[in-house]
Amino acid sequence: MKLTRRDLFTWGGGAAAGLLLTPVPWKLLDDTSIWTQNWPWIPQPAHGPVEVKNSFCSLCPNGCGMRVRMAVGWPVGISGMPHHPVNQGALCPLGFGAHQLNWHPRRLRQVRYHGRASSWTEALVAFQKACAAGSVAIIDGYPGRAASSLFQSFCKQHGSYGVVLCTEERALGPYETWSGVPVTTLGYDLENTGTIVSFGAPLLDGWSAPGRFTRLWSERAAGMADPQLRLIQVEPAQSRTAACAWRWVRIAPGSEAALAAALARALREEHLAPEDTPMPPATLAESAARCCISIEAIRELARTMVARGPVLAISAESNSAVAALNVVLGAVGARGGIVCRRKRAESYAAADSLTGSFSAVLIDSSVPADFNPNIDAEVFRFAGWEGGPGRADWLLPAPGFLEELTDIPTAPASSIETYTIAVALAPPPPEMRSAAQFLAQVDPSAPLVEQVIHARCGQLFHARTGRLKREQSTAVSALDSPEMLKKELCHGAVWVDDPPRAGGIRCRLREWPQPSGAAPCAATWTTAWVPPVLPPLATKLYQESVLRETPPRSAI
Amino acid sequence: MASAVLTDRRWIARGAERTSSARFALWLAPWAALLVLGIYAAGLCLYYGLNQTNMDNRFAFGLWIFLDLSVIALGAGAFFTGFLVYILGRADLKPILNAAVVLGFICYSGAVAVLMVDVGQPLRGWFTFWHPNTHSMLTEVTFCISCYLLVLTLEYIPVLLRNRQLGKGQPAAVFEYRLHHLVPVLAGLGAFLSFFHQGSLGGLYGVLRGRPFAFREGFSVWPSTFFLFVLSAIAVGPSFLMLVTAAVEKLTGRRQVPRELLRRLGFISGILLAVYVAAKSIDTLIWLNVTSPSVGFAPWEHYAYPPFGSALLFIEIVLFGLVPAGLLIYPRTARNRRWLLTGAALACCGILLNRFVMTVQTLALPTLAFDEFLSYIPSWQEVATFGGLIAYGVIVFSLSYRYLPLFGQEKREATDVSGR
Amino acid sequence: MKARYGMVIDVDRCTGCGACMVACAAENNVPPAAQRATARTGITPMLVHKVSDGAEGEDRREAFLPVTCMQCEHETPCVTVCPQQAVQLDPATGIVMQMPQRCLGCRYCMTACPYHARYFNWWDPVWPQGMEKSLNPGVAVRMRGVVEKCNLCHARLHAAQEKAAAAGKRTIDQHDYAPACVEACPTGAITFGNLADENDSVSRAARSPEAFRLLARLGTEPKIYYKSKRPWVRALAEPHTAQSRKEVQHG
Repeated sequence: MKLTRRDLFTWGGGAAAGLLLTPVPWKLLDDTSIWTQNWPWIPQPAHGPVEVKNSFCSLCPNGCGMRVRMAVGWPVGISGMPHHPVNQGALCPLGFGAHQLNWHPRRLRQVRYHGRASSWTEALVAFQKACAAGSVAIIDGYPGRAASSLFQSFCKQHGSYGVVLCTEERALGPYETWSGVPVTTLGYDLENTGTIVSFGAPLLDGWSAPGRFTRLWSERAAGMADPQLRLIQVEPAQSRTAACAWRWVRIAPGSEAALAAALARALREEHLAPEDTPMPPATLAESAARCCISIEAIRELARTMVARGPVLAISAESNSAVAALNVVLGAVGARGGIVCRRKRAESYAAADSLTGSFSAVLIDSSVPADFNPNIDAEVFRFAGWEGGPGRADWLLPAPGFLEELTDIPTAPASSIETYTIAVALAPPPPEMRSAAQFLAQVDPSAPLVEQVIHARCGQLFHARTGRLKREQSTAVSALDSPEMLKKELCHGAVWVDDPPRAGGIRCRLREWPQPSGAAPCAATWTTAWVPPVLPPLATKLYQESVLRETPPRSAI
Repeated sequence: MASAVLTDRRWIARGAERTSSARFALWLAPWAALLVLGIYAAGLCLYYGLNQTNMDNRFAFGLWIFLDLSVIALGAGAFFTGFLVYILGRADLKPILNAAVVLGFICYSGAVAVLMVDVGQPLRGWFTFWHPNTHSMLTEVTFCISCYLLVLTLEYIPVLLRNRQLGKGQPAAVFEYRLHHLVPVLAGLGAFLSFFHQGSLGGLYGVLRGRPFAFREGFSVWPSTFFLFVLSAIAVGPSFLMLVTAAVEKLTGRRQVPRELLRRLGFISGILLAVYVAAKSIDTLIWLNVTSPSVGFAPWEHYAYPPFGSALLFIEIVLFGLVPAGLLIYPRTARNRRWLLTGAALACCGILLNRFVMTVQTLALPTLAFDEFLSYIPSWQEVATFGGLIAYGVIVFSLSYRYLPLFGQEKREATDVSGR
Repeated sequence: MKARYGMVIDVDRCTGCGACMVACAAENNVPPAAQRATARTGITPMLVHKVSDGAEGEDRREAFLPVTCMQCEHETPCVTVCPQQAVQLDPATGIVMQMPQRCLGCRYCMTACPYHARYFNWWDPVWPQGMEKSLNPGVAVRMRGVVEKCNLCHARLHAAQEKAAAAGKRTIDQHDYAPACVEACPTGAITFGNLADENDSVSRAARSPEAFRLLARLGTEPKIYYKSKRPWVRALAEPHTAQSRKEVQHG
């Protein structure tokens, strides 16, 4: 039988028609819809039950409370902890993406010596050599933790301890100078203030903990023509805080001190300030000219300032003139002003002020990445992420986000004492070691962080003061044992001290201070951020929208 | 003409004069290169994703959609000529029918090919058929264009089978004979489908309630742009056909169709263009005075962003609408070949401008109060794909002309075409 | 019970910090930007715009307007135009549900949306190695070539529904369901709730005289309301106010 072209057509056409009646083509078509949803290069989320655990952020000294959603042993989502009095359920934009930081491509996973790969053993040997050769300086960016006390006890024998304070605490520096009360125990009693005059402090955009001022402002001031809490923002350009403030006072750049001086003079002239407070040497006219504001406007501002008391001036950076203005306003040690939280507190040496010759400097991972010590010695820098501009001879991989157990002392410039324990929720990569763990290898007799925390819980329990806040509030005196206190803390409770009494700090100021202090830089988010990298999702703010300009110090 | 060297002589119809194979290859070479570049660019887009283009979230539609809309409008000559010949019985237009079908096939197949690159998930192209949305103009467009492409293919096959080699043998002849009876049905079907998809392409923009620049009221579910697009498509289809025919005549140095035919096409085009201009003017007036203000836009606020000023509107309606209509209708100019072709070219420009305004200008204009006016420049991949489509068209048409009797009359008219 | 979930965003409380944007991206498994992505090709289902009253210099006043899918109720533009019904208005919740699994990527919905609330995946999502462990389990990851938008954190609604079902209840506890942006806002500027419930705080806020909706005149009936005591902010509801005309004149 010869196969003709006609046969070919007939059989071919018949086969095609027949195939349509089978499931084959329809199944293949349907499969394309499955394939196009499940290409192998598209990552899939893990499948598993989700549980919510509490912990606290340690990426900046505010220690915001977080609710962390965990699935298959990894953090998969972050939200704020509503019962924490410091952040009150709010988090900074970076905090919401922080659970992805540990996989940032610039995560430091290996010990580096001058850029090339090294090991912990070599680093340990080098550090021990340095300890034997001379004294060691330890720089801590987050004083008050259990790890910090280990640094301090190490330094008692082997060297000096210095701290790098965040800007909010640095701004309180003049009060420490004038009263002797350490900045680490000073705070702003914002909850009772009537008028806040902010000299460039980004109160609504990266100042202190995210919820602290924002919630207060939202309840008492947002959008109101006559708010309960008046925010006067003094700034050369309209920042976010200035745009939201009750009033924005535009001054010439760098003239914050001059405005503070002018306001002090105006208050005296209007008889709104006590007679015995020091006055600036410059006249009102001179200061006004320096600020590029008219004298009448300054007088009017002075009157407005005190119209709704208590009044508090907050500076972005350490500014002695603004601090002196607070003295004139009577805000120091008063309700709604600058308060002292505890009777006894520690004063720390500033890292910049460490003098003497050292053979090594150990910089903890809590120190901001752009910090450089003034010390000429071998630098052992602990960091979770590489790429910071700070110099380092040894770059040592430290635990990242939620990777180590630590305790969180009171947030900077807070008006009440708090204490929390941040449990580790993410397993740390094998090569990680914290500075405290490193020092424990140098000096095996030193206690571990866990032990210090345990001891602190015991102290808190025996002091019988304060309350434990979770969904409900429990008095410490009602608890049965220190173990119970510790257990509650580890599950996310917050220990809150009784509110401080008024007073406790008195500034002795004979004359108006010489102008000093750094000029505040343009309000950026966030001034206290420590790592040299931003969470990957920060691209939403900086690259995928025009909401914020390129980040100043960090890179994505 | 001296006898040319034709290595592919057996593919060419007996008695037909064609240029030498070498010259033809030389003609095709640059177009083939452009086609290869276009395929490469399209391949890049399919492989790496649409980030290879300069389209973005504001300009979700870009050069390719403008291209698709324009090319489909220009290819309307296919269905309209078929409608005129088979439904309205205009036998005098028959000589150009094959060319119209080939042109239509090129336009539609090219548009569909570009669309497959334009969508983010080409493998899901069949979803529209499986989960159709009866409210969506795009569902309508998809269905009708797919069906119409099928119709065009069926209309193209008989033309292909007229080739000397392909048409050999009885099965081909029988098939062609059978198809022959089908052709008027196909023409009617084609006209029906084309009416709807040409209109729906206009409807795509007319229903955009969120874009006051494009939104129009209409009749029942069809906005006025539906009818305007159909009108403009049938107006310009014959013009484009005319231009292509004239180009072939110029390139081959041979008259392909009777002079009168082009004039008649021009006249039809001109009349329809005049009707379109009238309809468009009325529609624009209604839009400026009623529709647009009802959602808060004062009349000329849409044109406040240079270079999309109100001059564009006047250019579209007057320079590229009224003027070519006049040139194509008015006997004095219509008799002159140069004016005739100018009129046709202006009409085509008008359609291109109209499609551009509907796609690109609509998206460039801000909608929210705090929006910006944004601009968009296509990337080289987009332009290369566009070029590839044009190259594809030229190649298919050239091959069709060389090997198929596109213009049935050519055997009889061997005189030079440069006369009036 | 049929719900109409919506929001009221208090513009006077928004400080433009962007926490809502990051929280939204984290909740919905939105990838970090591709290297070449820009503000015009990024994916920000919640996007905060900086707006101003058009004045210059010291008199210039600025504010921040978070824009997300408006969950339009009447002739929802994107729903009517999608050729394969990849987006539907869910009658039980009022949420305009985008199904990226069915999306062809034709982007017609993006031209239809006047709020620019839809985003196309111009790139395949790429996370650095290991970061996929941090993906939210309830939300499917999209690949390139599909459109996505805010779904009012539908995974959270789903979780709330499962919780209610496990407890034998037919309706969810309102406290169990809040989109990520609502939870994230440090000033509490976003209120979320059921507009169908007259006693819900959202309904009350939506009825206040200071409330407005963007482009209300288009008739799409958005369910995202805004609120402000400042008249110039309320004037941003409709385009081409005198301010923009002034700007346009100055070229």
